[in-house]
Amino acid sequence: MKLGKLLGGIALAALMAAPVSAQTLRYATIGEPPSLDSQMGTATLASTISQHMFETLYAFDAAFAPQPYLVTGETISDDGKTIVMTVREGVKFHNGDTLDAADVAASLSRWAEHGARGKLLELTSAEATGDMEVTLTLAERNGAWKSILAYVNGGPVIYPAEIVSAAAGEPIAAENYVGTGPYEFGEVRPNRYVELTRFEGYTPNPAESDGEAGTRVANFETLRFIPVPDVGTRVSGVQAGDYDYAEYISGDLYGLVKDDPAIQVKISTAPIFGLMFMNSDSGPLATNTKLRQAIMAALNMEQALQVSVGEPELFEADGAFFPEGNVWHTEAGTDAYNQGDPEKARVLAEEAGYDGTPIKLLVSTNYKAHFDDASVFTRQLADAGINVQMVVVDWATLLQLRGQPSEWDMFMTHHGSIPDPVLLTVLNDSYPGWWQTDEKHALMDRFTGTSDLAERQAAWEELQALIYEQLPVVKVGNILSYDIASPDLTTPWERAPAFPHFWGASK
Amino acid sequence: MGRYVIRRTGAAIMTLIAASIVIFAFIHLIPGDPVYVMLGDGATPEQVAALRDRMGLDEPVVVQYLIWAGNALQGDLGQSIFFDTPVTQVIREGAETSILLALITMVWIVAFGVPVGILAAIRQGTVIDQGLSGLAMLLASVPTFWVGLYLILIFAAGLGWFPSSGYPSIFEEGGLANLRYLILPSLALAAPNAALILRLTRASMLDVAREDYVRTARAKGIAPSRVVLRHILRNALLAVVSAFGFTFAALISEAVVTETVFALPGVGRTVVQSILRRDYPVIQGVILIIVCMYLVINLAVDLSYRLLDPRVELE
Repeated sequence: MKLGKLLGGIALAALMAAPVSAQTLRYATIGEPPSLDSQMGTATLASTISQHMFETLYAFDAAFAPQPYLVTGETISDDGKTIVMTVREGVKFHNGDTLDAADVAASLSRWAEHGARGKLLELTSAEATGDMEVTLTLAERNGAWKSILAYVNGGPVIYPAEIVSAAAGEPIAAENYVGTGPYEFGEVRPNRYVELTRFEGYTPNPAESDGEAGTRVANFETLRFIPVPDVGTRVSGVQAGDYDYAEYISGDLYGLVKDDPAIQVKISTAPIFGLMFMNSDSGPLATNTKLRQAIMAALNMEQALQVSVGEPELFEADGAFFPEGNVWHTEAGTDAYNQGDPEKARVLAEEAGYDGTPIKLLVSTNYKAHFDDASVFTRQLADAGINVQMVVVDWATLLQLRGQPSEWDMFMTHHGSIPDPVLLTVLNDSYPGWWQTDEKHALMDRFTGTSDLAERQAAWEELQALIYEQLPVVKVGNILSYDIASPDLTTPWERAPAFPHFWGASK
Repeated sequence: MGRYVIRRTGAAIMTLIAASIVIFAFIHLIPGDPVYVMLGDGATPEQVAALRDRMGLDEPVVVQYLIWAGNALQGDLGQSIFFDTPVTQVIREGAETSILLALITMVWIVAFGVPVGILAAIRQGTVIDQGLSGLAMLLASVPTFWVGLYLILIFAAGLGWFPSSGYPSIFEEGGLANLRYLILPSLALAAPNAALILRLTRASMLDVAREDYVRTARAKGIAPSRVVLRHILRNALLAVVSAFGFTFAALISEAVVTETVFALPGVGRTVVQSILRRDYPVIQGVILIIVCMYLVINLAVDLSYRLLDPRVELE
């Protein structure tokens, strides 16, 4: 009886407690973000949060074309190596200072030297050549320069010159999170939340809002990102009204949530795709292209995706690296994708002189999809007489082991959607796998040596075909992740972008 | 008594030193590198080497241990690699949740496990006993995460009586009313533990009830209720109380599943996440504190024997 009274009393207290302000967005995240210094890391969650604080010189519009954002425009020299940009006037930082060319030059210089994607642009120098004029000098013409400058994930966001110069190669400390965005840093409470608050002195871009480009309106006073690691809890938290938005809901719950009136489903516009890298540096696969082709012939991606994702609406067995409708979409080379032909694989393996040497497949259990894909592949390859030995470790161990060429022959990972092929990890010579053939280098020179879209598309088409011929990596297929939101939340986008943003959102 | 306490404290300190070495060695022996986790997928070997160097991860493990142990003696457990905040702050954030959760859970366990255990023992062999033992078996066997998810579904998503997850501190807006966030998790966590205490109380009561002095007490014509409370329960509690101590310590260190399901910022989840991130200072700091806690509770349990049973000599 007493217990009942106590419970009732607490329940009453719960009902009487003040309602959470309608001015706070409560976003249930899958985990906690590492440093929010966007220049230094590529964690998706860190970018999702930090894009509200830190801004880039260009921003992608709804059609993924980069538009001037913190700059008003640029002029480019004929050889494409010198770019002069004009910085937008009157933009305020969170610390009250006004953005000028020195801030832009310092931020770009630090990013080029230490940033996670800093080497992409091959920036020789970034100098303030006037109060509001910045001159970039590139080592080579780079057709993707605007997209690279617009990409927030590991990209060149703009900080005040003094902060960025003091930080140099260190991640910027939380107390120095100063940007120009519509939200400023509030606090980080380990295991509890990351909170951003509306920046009252925000200077919006005058252009009309379009994707991430144009004006950004902060309707919420506070954005709170709360780690809720269990997916079931993220779902019931939204149902119960404790969260407004929850990310990464698993495929097996799709049937449950899609018809629930208490939930809006936001399928991602940005498919992620599983990748199985092959070791081009050492081991049985290093130079044996035929053996790689045997492996490719054995794989049935549809089966792997059915096991790892399940829900047919949430995956596509698609060999193209960019989805249909994207300017980079091409089917070149994809005949080799999803063959699932063990007999052909057996013949190819024989021709390749394969003697049954175990092939080490490095995979982690942290990502269920990686492990499921690897298990299915191991079975399929066994059917073709190819002996795969799974090396199962946790993600932190995998990240370390894959840097050592002698430890693996293949490893599983995944890749997020990117605006330009130049950001694909497999095209990076130093990424584990170390694909560095002459054919690749020749095509890469063509690809980055022009800013003409048609020429770049043609070069990319050949690059994708080359990937399917030399097989430095095997694409598993597209996974459409999805998020959920409470029915009251309105967002400026219908389907979830790669990094969902909440300026323009309200409830 | 005084000498006993001093001797036990000395032994506890030796245990602590040994434990700190073992913790440090194990954590550094497992492969994986926090730098890779921090820098992400696209990090170049140069960036990795530079960050390792700045964070002092290139020093020999023995040197790293001595530096850490020296600082720990001065109360400085270092800086979390992942959060870039002092480890003591990370632990403080987790400790409030874990301790309050454990305390509330203990209330459920004591309020349910002990009286129901006594009832089952008194009614040994009856339908009541069998029913209660069956219930205990059920509670002990059902996984905590399943109980947790159903509690959320029914009482949070369905009835809306309690919040589904999370826990804002009682020192923040909302004050003590924030304890309502811990009701569902504590019930989920209490279920298997209350069942164990129930079974332990019952078994212990039945053991004591077979003693000669109980038969003598009954033969003397002492009222049955008095026999149960004074003669049986008091002696049976000895085993139960020592179980309380370890249950409490276990509730703090092993509540990982409950903390994950209810998204609670507790110590258990912190340590598991830190292991996945290879956040060495946090793992070391938290485990060190947990070892200390076990040592203190162990000592307290031993001392409490003396209070409960004057026959126990502490030597």
